[in-house]
This record gives sequence, C-alpha cells and structure tokens, in this order.
Amino acid sequence: MSQSHDPTLLNDPRRRFVRGAGLLALAASPLAAFAATQTGEGVSFADGPRPLVKYPGKRPLIRVHTRPPHLETPFSVFNEGPITANDAFFVRYHLANIPLAVDLATYRLSVTGTVGTPLSLSLAELKAIAEPVEVVAVNQCSGNSRGFSSPRVFGAQLANGAMGNARWTGVPLRKVLEKAGVGAGAKQVTFDGLDTPVLPATSDFRKALDIEHAMSGEPMLAWAMNGSDLPLLNGYPVKLIVPGYFGTYWVKHLSEIEVLDHPFEGHDALFMTTAYRVPDNDCQCVAPGTAAAKTRPISTLAVRSFITSVQNGGVLPAGRTVELKGIAFDAGAGTRTVEVSIDGGQQWREAALGKDLGRYSFREWRAPVTFAQKGQAVLMVRAVNQKGEGQPATADWNPAGYRRHVVESTAVTIA
Amino acid sequence: MNRIHTLSMRTAFLLAGALSAGAAFAAPPKPIQLPGETVKLKPSNLPGFAIAQQKCAICHSADYIAYQPPGMTVTQWTGEMTKMQHLYGAPIDDQEIKLLGVYLAATYGDAGSVTAADRALTAAPTAAPASAPAAGSRTATGGAIDVQALLNANACLGCHAVAQKIVGPAYHDVASKYKADPSAVTKLQASIKAGGSGKWGPVPMPPFAQLTDAQLKALAEFVMKQ
Repeated sequence: MSQSHDPTLLNDPRRRFVRGAGLLALAASPLAAFAATQTGEGVSFADGPRPLVKYPGKRPLIRVHTRPPHLETPFSVFNEGPITANDAFFVRYHLANIPLAVDLATYRLSVTGTVGTPLSLSLAELKAIAEPVEVVAVNQCSGNSRGFSSPRVFGAQLANGAMGNARWTGVPLRKVLEKAGVGAGAKQVTFDGLDTPVLPATSDFRKALDIEHAMSGEPMLAWAMNGSDLPLLNGYPVKLIVPGYFGTYWVKHLSEIEVLDHPFEGHDALFMTTAYRVPDNDCQCVAPGTAAAKTRPISTLAVRSFITSVQNGGVLPAGRTVELKGIAFDAGAGTRTVEVSIDGGQQWREAALGKDLGRYSFREWRAPVTFAQKGQAVLMVRAVNQKGEGQPATADWNPAGYRRHVVESTAVTIA
Repeated sequence: MNRIHTLSMRTAFLLAGALSAGAAFAAPPKPIQLPGETVKLKPSNLPGFAIAQQKCAICHSADYIAYQPPGMTVTQWTGEMTKMQHLYGAPIDDQEIKLLGVYLAATYGDAGSVTAADRALTAAPTAAPASAPAAGSRTATGGAIDVQALLNANACLGCHAVAQKIVGPAYHDVASKYKADPSAVTKLQASIKAGGSGKWGPVPMPPFAQLTDAQLKALAEFVMKQ
C-alpha cells in the first residue's frame, strides 16, 4: 500500500476521519486480504492490478511493463536493511531490443571521439586499468513515485519501489578517460549500452555528462554489485554509476563512450534533449497541470525519507513502545537529521541514525514511539541533509512526474 | 603395452580436459528467458483497437497502456499519441493518432470525454486506415495485389525484415521453416489473419483480420518466396 498522501489533507479533521473510516472498513472486510497481495502499492491504473512476476536472477518483483522489461521492488524489501539485494533490485529499460546474454569473449567497451588514443577494452582490460574502487550509492529512477502525482501524468505509474542501494565496484571513469587522453576542447561525454530501439526512427538510449563531471572521479564503470557480477537485467557486464544522480544516467550494458567537443544533440540524443527534463527553476516544478516555459536535463536526487517498518494501512499496538524504522538519502551531502511524527505532523521527534555507509547511501534510522490511544494515526517522516536541504510538506508537480520528494505520510491503525 | 595404454589414456584425458575448458571459454553464454506478455488490449469496435494492436505492439507490450492512470481524457490520450509519433518515431499518421486517442480514452480513460463528433470521426469506415490497404493495394494496372503497399500499410516491416529478426522472425526464416510443408501458404495466411505467439517466441503478433483472403494469400506467398 502507498505511503504517499497529500499531507495538506491532514489538517482537515473531517477528511482525516473519512479516510480513517475507509481504512477501518477495509481492514474489516475480505478486501483486506486482497489489498495485501495486490501490487499497486497505493497506485491506481486504467486496467490493473499489476502482477508479481519472477524474472531470471530476480525474486518475484512487481511487473511495471513486460516489453521492454520494467520491474519495481516491492516496498517491504526496503525494511530488510540499507543494502538492496541484487535479486530485489528494480529493472528499467526504455528500448525493447535488449541483450539476453553478453559474451565476454566478444564484449568490448569503446572509448572514442576527442581523445588521443581510442580504446577498445575487454572486461579484463577494463579491470586492469586502475585499482578497483567501491561506493555505496542509491540508484533511483527519475519517475520513482510518479503514480502519486496529482493531477496524474502519463508514464510508468511507479509507487515508491523504483530505487535501490548497492555497493558498486569498478574503476573511476576518470581513469579510463585519462588512459584514452581527453583532448582539449572536450565538452561532454556520451554513454551508450547494448540495448537498441526496435525501429530506426526511435532514438537510441544515450546519456551525456559534462566533461568536468565525467573527470571528477565520482562516476564509475562498475562490474560488481554487492560483491557479485551485475545481474544481466541490471546491466551486465558494465554499468555506469553516477553517484547522486538519477538512474537515467546509470547506463546498462555500457559499450560505447564518446568524448564530444560540442554539446550532445541529434537523433540519438532524445533522452537528454527532449525526455528526462525538468522545469528550469529552483523547485524544478510548475503549477499543477501546466507546462514549463523552459526545461533542463534532470540531474541530482532530492532529499527523501521513508518509514519502512510499517506501511500504509498497517496496524501497530497501543500502550507499549514500538520502534519505527526507515531510510533516508539525498544526492551526496549526506543525511544530517531525520524526524518522525506520529500525530500527522503536529509534533516531531528526532530519530537515531544508523551506520553511515557513505554519503550516497541509504541511511537507516530508528525511533521508538508509543501510542497512548487506540484508533487512527498518521505517521510522517522528514529528513534534512548536511546542506540544510529538506523535504516539502506539500508535493510540488512537474509534467513528467519526476523527482517526487514530498514528506511521506503513513496512515496506520493503533489497536 | 600397458604403459602406452596408460599414457594414451592420460593424453586422452588431458586432451578432453583441454577441449572442454576451451569449449567452456568459447561457448557463448546461454541467453536468459524472459516471461511472456500476458496483458491484452481491451477489445473494442472502434477502429483504433486494430491500430493499437498493430502499431503499439511493435515497440512495447500492451501493459504499457493498461497500467497508465485511469480517467485520462481523449485530449490527453491523443496528446500522448502525438508524443509517441513525434518523440519516439511511432509509425502512426495524424489520422491514426486521432483514432487511437478515441479508442484509448473510450476504453481505458474518461469515456465521457469522448464526444459524439469523436465517435463519428471513427465510425466512418472510409476514415479507418485499416481499410486503406484494400484501396491502396491494387497496382495502377489493376488486378495484381501490390504486396509492398500491403506491407507498408499494415506496418509489417516494423516487426519483420526479410533477412533478420526484428521483433518477429525474418521472412527468410519463416520460409525456411515451412519450405517442405505443402500447406505452408494456408498456414501462414491463418497466422497473419489471427495473430498469435509461441511459434517464434513469446512476443505476440497482432491479428490482421481486416485483410481479405486475396491479400492474406499474397502476403503468405511473398513470405514463402524469401
């Protein structure tokens, strides 16, 4: 079930009562059992619900689309710990011609364009370029939680499960570019994977980073995820890791890197120049239902926090201490504080942060709370990062439903 | 003798080991098998239904449509079809965009947003591109069916090529599979008319039920010649 509701509704006691009554009715009806097994996770569809489906190398995940494959992680997985298991990690493709196997005997990663020495690297040669490095980093889909946009927008109607946190092992992109020798005048670096469009008229899926970002030492070419080879559906054998940036940049089955002496544009630049763009203003938002006058490519993650130990419609006991648990993350400043409320946002208390796995990682938090009375309660969680950036109390909106980061609410029954 | 035998056995063992190791290295990895498509488009008498089956399915499964938000209007669905054409190169013309928008809003969205004028637009049989192949399939000299026009009008080449697999099998591969089968043309005619999946993988081929028997036969004979 969902964790997202418009918190502005909570200030209206009548609305709150109506929703509480609805939850009670649901809990008491045979529908409750159905609600527990259907996988909308709080999102409604034109013709749902979505099934849980088992894919190779994956436990049953929520099918968002079949072709090209798109799978969402059931939200309960995020309560298993701060690292998302490889077999539970979400899957997202844009183009239907995807590699169903990659032969390392023939796989090569090419580095071309404005470089001194073009490269064509086998996986073994890539691994030998530099000492391996590791980073624990969140990969979150730009459209994670799009299904909660109000008004609704077209696109994959994701709940909150198009994200995951893993330990990535690889070599810094900078080392590979240094090996090739970046020429003077380099402006952007483009990345292409082995997936291709069905029709020539459709743009390939290619992404670009500015040369300064590409050479910063942060982006990584990874071959391992949580200590194992990348799952095929997550980009085997090599995936671009861009810590702090949305998943759209984390190109799978990476096969071509090109250094450009001009901005990336043209037929195969659609996923930079037309799609995956946000309003070009501070909030990256517009008035609901309106278009943006100017846009720019989506970039870094916003601050987010979730309760994972109980989901919407859950039941918690009255009169004794309950430990709420969850996760928080941002684009890499690191989580400074997490606060929880058990009264719909009237009073807040600080949660204890868990082990720091790195500034790009999920940060676990825990907060013991006690509910004095039985009845309905609305739990909320909000985080602030080391830069002082927080989360809005009311969801902002943009036409593509990207970058949702509102303070989450979880309606529960105290029994 | 014994010794030689032993040696030869050892040699054979080593050789076999080397071969199998070599084979293990050289053998391409086994492709993963993806689960098949289960969601079908909702049937409708609106002409946009056939277009959706034939055109949308080239690039994505039907659940892309089913799992959109409920209640989207004909204006919104039509706008989305325009986006599919402009941004993603969907092989749909402006008339098909309108027909698709009406079908999708009436079937998956806010049916109340579909006006009488919208329905009139889609009710006129001459407006349906599904009937266009029949009109455009005769050559200027009359009589013979223009297979190339049929292929183009029904977007066959979106999924099939003569010599290589795209979404569906190469025509050459289909011809090879059925070359010894005397009822090949009849079988292919039936497959094109009814669509289906399983013979060439899990991706379903939509039905092309609007084609005449003569058109189906011409297409089947064309495929068998490749």
